[in-house]
Amino acid sequence: MGTTIMAASYDGGVVMGADSRTSTGSYVANRVTDKITPLTDRVYICRSGSAADTQNLSRYVQWFLEQHGMELGDDPEVKTAAKLAQTMAYQNKNLLQASGGLAGLIVAGWDKHHGGSVFAIPLGGTLVKVPFSIGGSGSAYINGLCDRLWRPNMSEEECKAFVVKAVSHAMARDGSSGGCIRTVVISKDGIKRSFIPGDEVPVAAGELPPPVRQVRA
Amino acid sequence: MSGIGSGYDNSVSTFSPDGRVFQTDYAQKAVDNSGTVVGIRCKDGVVLGAEKLIISKMLVENSNRRTFPVDRHAGVATAGVAADGRSIVSRAMSEANQYKSFYGDPIPGHVLAERLGSYVHVFNLYWYVRPYGVSTLLATYGKEGPQLYLVEPSGTSHRYFGTAVGKGRQGAKNEIEKLKLEEMSCREGIQAVAKILHQVHDEEKGFELELAWICEESGRQFQRVPQQLAEEAEAAAKAALEAEDMDD
Amino acid sequence: METAQQGGFSFDLCKRNEFFAAKGVQHPGFTKTGTTIAGLIFKDGVVLGADTRSTAGSTVADKNCEKIHFIAPNIYCCGAGTAADTENVTGMVASQLELHRYATGTQSRVVTAMTLLKGHLFKYQGHVSAALVLGGVDFRGPHLFTVYPHGSTDSLPFATMGSGSLNAMAVFEAGFKDDMSREEAMALVARAIRSGVMNDLGSGSNVDLCIITKDGVEYLRNHEYLQTKTYERQFPQKFASGSVPVVRERVYDIRRAVQVVEGEPMEMEVS
Repeated sequence: MGTTIMAASYDGGVVMGADSRTSTGSYVANRVTDKITPLTDRVYICRSGSAADTQNLSRYVQWFLEQHGMELGDDPEVKTAAKLAQTMAYQNKNLLQASGGLAGLIVAGWDKHHGGSVFAIPLGGTLVKVPFSIGGSGSAYINGLCDRLWRPNMSEEECKAFVVKAVSHAMARDGSSGGCIRTVVISKDGIKRSFIPGDEVPVAAGELPPPVRQVRA
Repeated sequence: MSGIGSGYDNSVSTFSPDGRVFQTDYAQKAVDNSGTVVGIRCKDGVVLGAEKLIISKMLVENSNRRTFPVDRHAGVATAGVAADGRSIVSRAMSEANQYKSFYGDPIPGHVLAERLGSYVHVFNLYWYVRPYGVSTLLATYGKEGPQLYLVEPSGTSHRYFGTAVGKGRQGAKNEIEKLKLEEMSCREGIQAVAKILHQVHDEEKGFELELAWICEESGRQFQRVPQQLAEEAEAAAKAALEAEDMDD
Repeated sequence: METAQQGGFSFDLCKRNEFFAAKGVQHPGFTKTGTTIAGLIFKDGVVLGADTRSTAGSTVADKNCEKIHFIAPNIYCCGAGTAADTENVTGMVASQLELHRYATGTQSRVVTAMTLLKGHLFKYQGHVSAALVLGGVDFRGPHLFTVYPHGSTDSLPFATMGSGSLNAMAVFEAGFKDDMSREEAMALVARAIRSGVMNDLGSGSNVDLCIITKDGVEYLRNHEYLQTKTYERQFPQKFASGSVPVVRERVYDIRRAVQVVEGEPMEMEVS
C-alpha cells in the first residue's frame, strides 16, 4: 500500500489525514480506501505498508483495547493504544513488511488526561510522541512543507487545512498515492470525518484542473 | 466426624450444609489473630500502620517487615501469616510490572486490587491448595488520586476511606470512624494511626510500630515514613493518650 | 537479530520447498482458475458474476465450472486463484456460519463471513491462494467486499478480481451508477464478465450470475452461453438406416425348430 498518511495535533485535539489509494503492483486495487481505522471511540490509527498486516494488527489492538477498557471501567488513553500497536509491530517485525515511508503506523486521538496526542510507530517498532507525524511513501515529498507549515496552537480549521494541503502535495508527486483525501478530526467533542473527492483535491503547481464531473443518468 | 467442623472443614472444595467454606473462614481467623494493621485515606494520601508484636526479645528491630512497596505508586501492608504475605507482595509486584510493560502505564489501584482478589480467590477453589492466611491493605496514588483497598483471604476486594484488620480491628475501626479524614493531612494521619495502634494494643508485651505512606510529601511514591517523623508521631500519640488518661 | 518467536505458525516447510525449488526440484502443479469474477451493489442488493473456465497451465481443465460459492442463504462468494483453496476456504466459512446460525438463531452477517475469511487467509500468510469477491445482504443492507490471499479486505460499491479483473473493471468504471435497477445491474455485471471471457486468456466459457436481495437469491447458472460450438457431436450417435451396406443376408424359418400349440386358457381361483 503506497500511501500518504499524517496526523497533527492542534489546540483541542488532533487531525488525521490520508490519501485513498491501494495498489497491487502497478494496478490500483481500491481508489476509495479508508486508511484511518478506529481503535476506540476517540483513538484512530493511520495505516501504511501491507494492507493485510496493518488491517489485522489493527483488529488485534481493537480487541486488546476493548478488554482493557472493560477492566479499567473507562476509555483507554491514546498512549495505551499506541503502546499496544507498538508492541504488536515490534514482536512481529520480522513478518511485517513496510513499503517505503518513514512511519508505518500513526496512532492519534484524544483522552481526558492528556488531550490530543500523536504517536508515530515506524514498523521497526519504536514509539515516539510527536506534535505531528507524516508517513507512507508520499511523506518523502512533504517533509519540508510540513516543517514549514506546522506550528503549535493552531485552531481546528487551520490544522485541517494544513493536513489537506500536505496530503494533496504528496499525492501530486507520489505515484503510489492518490485518489481522494480522507480526514478525521478528534477532540473532546468526539470525531468528525470528512471526505474530499478526487476532483475536489487542491491542484498543485503544473497540474491541469480536473475535468468537469460527468453526471450519469 | 466430630468436632466443630463436622468433617466439612478439611477441604475448600466442599461446602458445609449451611453454605460455608470452613477453610476460608479459618483463613480469615488467621488474620483476625494477627497484630492490628490500620489504613486510612487522608486528603493528600494514604497512611498504613502495623502493630508488630514482639516475638522475641532478641529480635533485631525492623527485621520483620509488614509493609512493602509494590510499584512506585503502590504499596501494601499485610496482616496474618507473614510468609503468605510475602508471596502476595511478590504477586502484586509482578502484576504491576506486567501491566506496565503491556500497557505502558502504571497499574491503576482498582485493577491491582481486583487482580490480587482474583489471584487469592483461586486458592479457595481447589482441594490441593489452602487459602492465603492474609488480608492485604493496598495503598495507591494514581490518576484518580490516593486510594485504599482491602483484599481478604476469600478473594473479595473493597475500597475504603479507612479500615483495620487483626486483633484490635474493632476498636481501631471505631476510632477511625471518629476521624475527619477529609480534613486530615498524612502528617496528622501518621499520628492518628500511631495513636490508634497504641490504644488497641492490649498486651503486657510491647510492640514495634511500622508506618508507611504514599502522599504529596513522599512525591506520590510509596515509602516507609521517615524514621524521625515516625518517632515524633509515636511520641506525640503516646503523649496524647496519656493526656486523655489524665482527663479520665 | 533474532527475536523470540511467540506462538504462531511454522512456515519451515515453505522455506524448505523454496530451497528445493532453487535446486531444481519440480513442484507438482495446482489447478488454477484464471478467472474473471465481479460484483456490484445495486438499489435492492448485490449482483455477483463469474466466468466458468478452469485451467491447468495452458489447458482448459473444465469448461463449465462453478465459481460462485454458497456461504449462507443470504451470502455468496466468487472465488479466483487455486481452485482447491477457493472451494475449501468458502466451504469452511459456510460451515462455521451455519453452526453460528444454529447457536444464535440469527441471520449471518456479511462482515462476519469477511472476518472469518480474512482471518484464515492472514493466518496462512498468502499460502492459501484465494482471491474473493464476497457479497450479500443482511439486516444492515447490501455489502460487497474483496478479499486478497494475504488477508486484506476492501469494502466497495463495485469490485472485480482474477486475471480478467482489469477488463471487468474497465466496464464497471465506464458503466457503474449508484442505485441501478436489477436489470441494469445484471446487464452490467454480465457485460463485465463477458469482457473477461472475450479478452482474457485465463477466462472463458459461460457467464454465471447470482442476484442477492433481502427477499431472496436468484442463482442464474449459465446465464449466458458465450462459447457454444458451431458443431456438436451427438451422443449416443445415431445412424440413418441404409447408411451401412448389406454384405450378406440369411433368413431362418424358425417354424422348423419351434412347435406352436393352440390351447384353452386355464381356470383360476380368485381369493
